[in-house]
Amino acid sequence: MAAQVMNNEGMLLAVLADEDTITGFLLAGVGNVDLRKKRNYLVVDSKTSARQIEQAFKEFAARDDIAVILISQQVAGQIRNVIEAHNRPIPAVLEIPSKDCPYDPNQDSLLTRVKHIAGFN
Amino acid sequence: MYGFEMMSFNIKDGFLEGVVRSHRTGMLTVADYNNLSQCETLEDIKLNLTATDYGPYLVNEASPIYTATIVDRCTQKLVNDWNYMRTQADENLAMFMDYCTYGHMIDNVVLIVTGTLHERDVQELLDKCHPLGMFDSIATLAVAQNMRELYRLVLVDTPLAPYFSENLTHEDLDEMNIEIMRNTLYKAYLDDFAAFCQKLGSTTAEIMGDMLAFETDRRALNITLNSIGTELTRDDRKKLYSNFGLLYPHGHNELAMAEDFDQIRSAMEKVPAYSGIFSKLGYGESQMLDKLLYEEEVKKCVDCYEQQFHYGVFYAYMKLREQEIRNIMWVSECVAQDQKGRIADGIVYLF
Amino acid sequence: MSSQNRLVVVPTVTVLTVMKARLIGATKGHALLKKKADALTMRFRQLLKEIIDAKENLGSTMKGSFFAYTEAQYAAGENIKHTIMDNVDTAVVKVRGDLDNVAGVKIPRFESFVLPGETKMDLTGLGRGGQQLQSCRKAYLSAVELLVQLANLQTAFLTLDEALKVTNRRVNALENVVKPKLENTISYIKAELDELEREEFFRLKKVQKNKQKKQMAQMAEDAAAAAAGEKAEAGDLKMPPFNGPQGQQGVQPPTNSSLLNYKEDDLLF
Repeated sequence: MAAQVMNNEGMLLAVLADEDTITGFLLAGVGNVDLRKKRNYLVVDSKTSARQIEQAFKEFAARDDIAVILISQQVAGQIRNVIEAHNRPIPAVLEIPSKDCPYDPNQDSLLTRVKHIAGFN
Repeated sequence: MYGFEMMSFNIKDGFLEGVVRSHRTGMLTVADYNNLSQCETLEDIKLNLTATDYGPYLVNEASPIYTATIVDRCTQKLVNDWNYMRTQADENLAMFMDYCTYGHMIDNVVLIVTGTLHERDVQELLDKCHPLGMFDSIATLAVAQNMRELYRLVLVDTPLAPYFSENLTHEDLDEMNIEIMRNTLYKAYLDDFAAFCQKLGSTTAEIMGDMLAFETDRRALNITLNSIGTELTRDDRKKLYSNFGLLYPHGHNELAMAEDFDQIRSAMEKVPAYSGIFSKLGYGESQMLDKLLYEEEVKKCVDCYEQQFHYGVFYAYMKLREQEIRNIMWVSECVAQDQKGRIADGIVYLF
Repeated sequence: MSSQNRLVVVPTVTVLTVMKARLIGATKGHALLKKKADALTMRFRQLLKEIIDAKENLGSTMKGSFFAYTEAQYAAGENIKHTIMDNVDTAVVKVRGDLDNVAGVKIPRFESFVLPGETKMDLTGLGRGGQQLQSCRKAYLSAVELLVQLANLQTAFLTLDEALKVTNRRVNALENVVKPKLENTISYIKAELDELEREEFFRLKKVQKNKQKKQMAQMAEDAAAAAAGEKAEAGDLKMPPFNGPQGQQGVQPPTNSSLLNYKEDDLLF
């Protein structure tokens, strides 16, 4: 793990979210398309199935050049079990709010865990 | 010819002028916007819009509704109205209406060019294209593998082909920054459109001359503003300015040299028509400029309706509808993102 | 003192020493681990607070970014998103990793950075809305920064959580299993040794008694023999040199008498 972290070239952020949310991140320069046309983001719309999301998530989680996976809460809700099963520190999975849904801290897998440990609900 | 068009205008274009003027009553009013501003959710917005001309387009949309859907449906309304008028239009008016949509066509072409460079899926690309900017040969897009083929097979059949051949070389197609290409095409388009309007003569020439001058000046201003601090050199910048407009040619020289907002401001303020806009802006702030320019555009479009027997109303109609859709988008986003305090910052009232 | 809760050892002095050393080791280890666990817990609590704060902060920051995007869309047109999507090339915002050390637990630490140089995005929206796009870009960049920080906290949280669990398990194991076991073993060995000692003492006493009895009998016999055979002295005198050298003859009586004392000393310290 240490060797992986020390990767000096810098690691990527992956994003799974709706189009508008992703566009913003792409604008910031997060997006990456490698030589094999592999992208580090997945645009989720109403046509995207939970299976596709799950597949993309697992793929991102398995890639060793990705340090952080940003996933919008709406999308995360569709594959909640997969996210809860992911317990490695790298890549870190972060739930972000999406544009159309205000952020709901109560749905966040990690935050519920944190609050549970911290002892206040 | 001036003044005589009222004798012959209605023979060919009277019906359509009636149609386009009738759409004016369908535009959202201040009261409508007030109602929209009171909405708590996008569902409320939809409900409010169903009471307007957009009703038939939105009523069957399933929940949950998104801003993108609303905007999409409203655009569809514009497209349908436009196509209805376009199919009825007579030669000159048809030509004029086509010219109005070339702006969207340029955007589509640029989209296709980038898409081809990145080997995107054709269907995906077509879905993204603006419906007003479609052209016949767009279906053959799938055949093109690289830029040269794309030009030879697809672009050459579009009305934009002369803009390409006159301004860009083959090397440019491969290497040029896509935004510069877009703006080069746009410049050529505006020049061409202005020439066409002058050829039409009479009231159309007068009114469209004014509208296009504003459009081109706004572009010049925006290009200058947005290229400060980028790799774009002064000469390249100057090449993107159109060859007419109130700023042409002296204002362009000054803009080309401008390095910060205040220099742009001083260049613009020398033109009486724009000094009013800038006097509304406090020193140092440029964020509000877009809205002020939109307001100015709307004002000009509304003025178009004051005169009869010219094609400018069609152009104005398109611009007003687009502004209206932008307003709806803004209100919807503000509501969806719970930023209702900002609603007033984006709405430009039309009538 | 059930045999389940102690190590199976042979109760000897050597083993006792070993056990004592192990107990000391375990106690020291326990204290150290306890300290580590305390340090981790402290950091952990701090983290929890930070995470909750950051997460709640995230909502408003993202809201700002989203709205900046709306502004950009308003100024640059709905279609701008396609332009942005198609302009994606290689990432300019990346994450650098580092290791942080909390009480011996290595925690990966991320840091976002922007690759220097012009990006293709710079000229996006040249004709309209370029400024809004740039401010939107800035808003998202700061959002990314916050997100990466949050990722840091989160990774630290998960790593610490794991480390804390392991450490606590060890502390508890030492406290509740290893230490009692060693203590029990030690007391078992001590008890066994005491028992042995008592047995030995008793045995020696017995031996001594027997010896005394024997001596008494011998003495009585000797006395009787002396009394009986005073006349046959010349024949008997030959016997002592036959038993051993002359020197030994003098030593033998004290050895016989101090044997009991000597042994006693060794056993009772």
